Amino acid sequence: MLKVRSGDLDKMGLLFHRYHRPLYGFLFHMTQHREASEDMLQNVFYRMLKSRHTFTGEGEFRTWMYFIARNVIKDHQKKVRREPGTYDVTDFAEKIGAGVRTDELVEHKLEVKALQKALEALSPESREVLILSRFQDLRHEEIARVLDISTGAVKVRVHRAINQLKELYMQDETEKR
Amino acid sequence: MECAYDKTLLPLLLNDQLSDSEREAVEVHVAGCAECRQELEANKRLWALMGAIDTPEPPSGTLIRFNAMLDTYKSSTDATYSPSTEAQGKKGPGILERLRQLFTFQPGFAIAYSLLLVIAGIGLDHWISRPANADTGKDTQQLAVLATQVSEMREMMMKSLLQNPSASERIRGVSYTSEIATVNKGVVEALLTTLNNDPNVNVRLITLEALTHYAGNPVVREGLVQSILQQESPLVQAALADVMLKLQEKNAIRPFKKLLQQKDLNILVRDKVQAAIARLS
Repeated sequence: MLKVRSGDLDKMGLLFHRYHRPLYGFLFHMTQHREASEDMLQNVFYRMLKSRHTFTGEGEFRTWMYFIARNVIKDHQKKVRREPGTYDVTDFAEKIGAGVRTDELVEHKLEVKALQKALEALSPESREVLILSRFQDLRHEEIARVLDISTGAVKVRVHRAINQLKELYMQDETEKR
Repeated sequence: MECAYDKTLLPLLLNDQLSDSEREAVEVHVAGCAECRQELEANKRLWALMGAIDTPEPPSGTLIRFNAMLDTYKSSTDATYSPSTEAQGKKGPGILERLRQLFTFQPGFAIAYSLLLVIAGIGLDHWISRPANADTGKDTQQLAVLATQVSEMREMMMKSLLQNPSASERIRGVSYTSEIATVNKGVVEALLTTLNNDPNVNVRLITLEALTHYAGNPVVREGLVQSILQQESPLVQAALADVMLKLQEKNAIRPFKKLLQQKDLNILVRDKVQAAIARLS
């Protein structure tokens, strides 16, 4: 990224290659919307290009990227609130296309689905720390820098988020039975 | 029974956030405390299950879109910085000023152009409303002169717009060609140069579209075929494959085959070119 900053814009392609998958995953888990996630993905890279001068090189590139991604998500959510009524088509397609396989697989799949639902029901604040630490494999110090809070606060948030998630998940399971 | 142990430490075991000694300390406590053990086990199960939630892959066009964005961004920064800095480096301030004048959009052109159209309109009106007489020959001659002047004016304007540092002005220049009734060599050359050399991918795409209208012209066809190997952007390569297919241009097969030999060719473009070759031969 420091090379990009000093004017070698082609190096951005390398960064895109390396990080676009995990970043897309983060955007998707935060918004549950594939198309919007792709738009936001492009947007994050565009903003990084535009504000490359603000990258100091002190922190890691990853934390800076997620920091920008959070702002893009915030802007996206503001926009969505203004113009509601967009649905993810692929979501419906998945629901229609869900076939039946062996019982065990179905059982496992249902569990995962329920957990996913619980994750979606979490408050954004809690969901964020869980996604960053479970799916993006960020260390707590890194998460602290992304969120601009102390490492201790991250520890508390992760603990609280796991408990909330557990609760929501159990609730869903008992409702079914 | 409520264990007073700091439970926020428990999740730290899951994602490996602790040093060896810290981890040992937590493990020792958990081994002796059923409550914490239970919580840890539940957390572990949840954590493992979370791993099974799938994360979708980004859609296939993502990379192309990113590259297009990067190209556009690069050309937009080039356009704002390079002309002035280059000129400053090589030539004195007087030339810089003149260069600037040349490259900036001059409203004078637009006014002159519209005035000319008004005059042409009045001339046309005179010619139509006047009864046929001996002067007709002279009028027609004048009109023909006016018409050529108008089209020369358009051509000049188009060419000056194509030199503009702003991509949107260049696109405007390309779109002027649709108003020029008969394309001459100069226009075709200007368009082909833009198609092969313009730094902005959008300008190149628009130029390609404009050129397709003149595909009846053998020079244009030849130029398009030659352009295949000059293009680096996957978007333009794919568009050229479409155009060649539409024109049924068999001469394009050879450059396409050469294109396929390039190792770093975009996979989507590769498919497209292969399909085009198959349908052309």
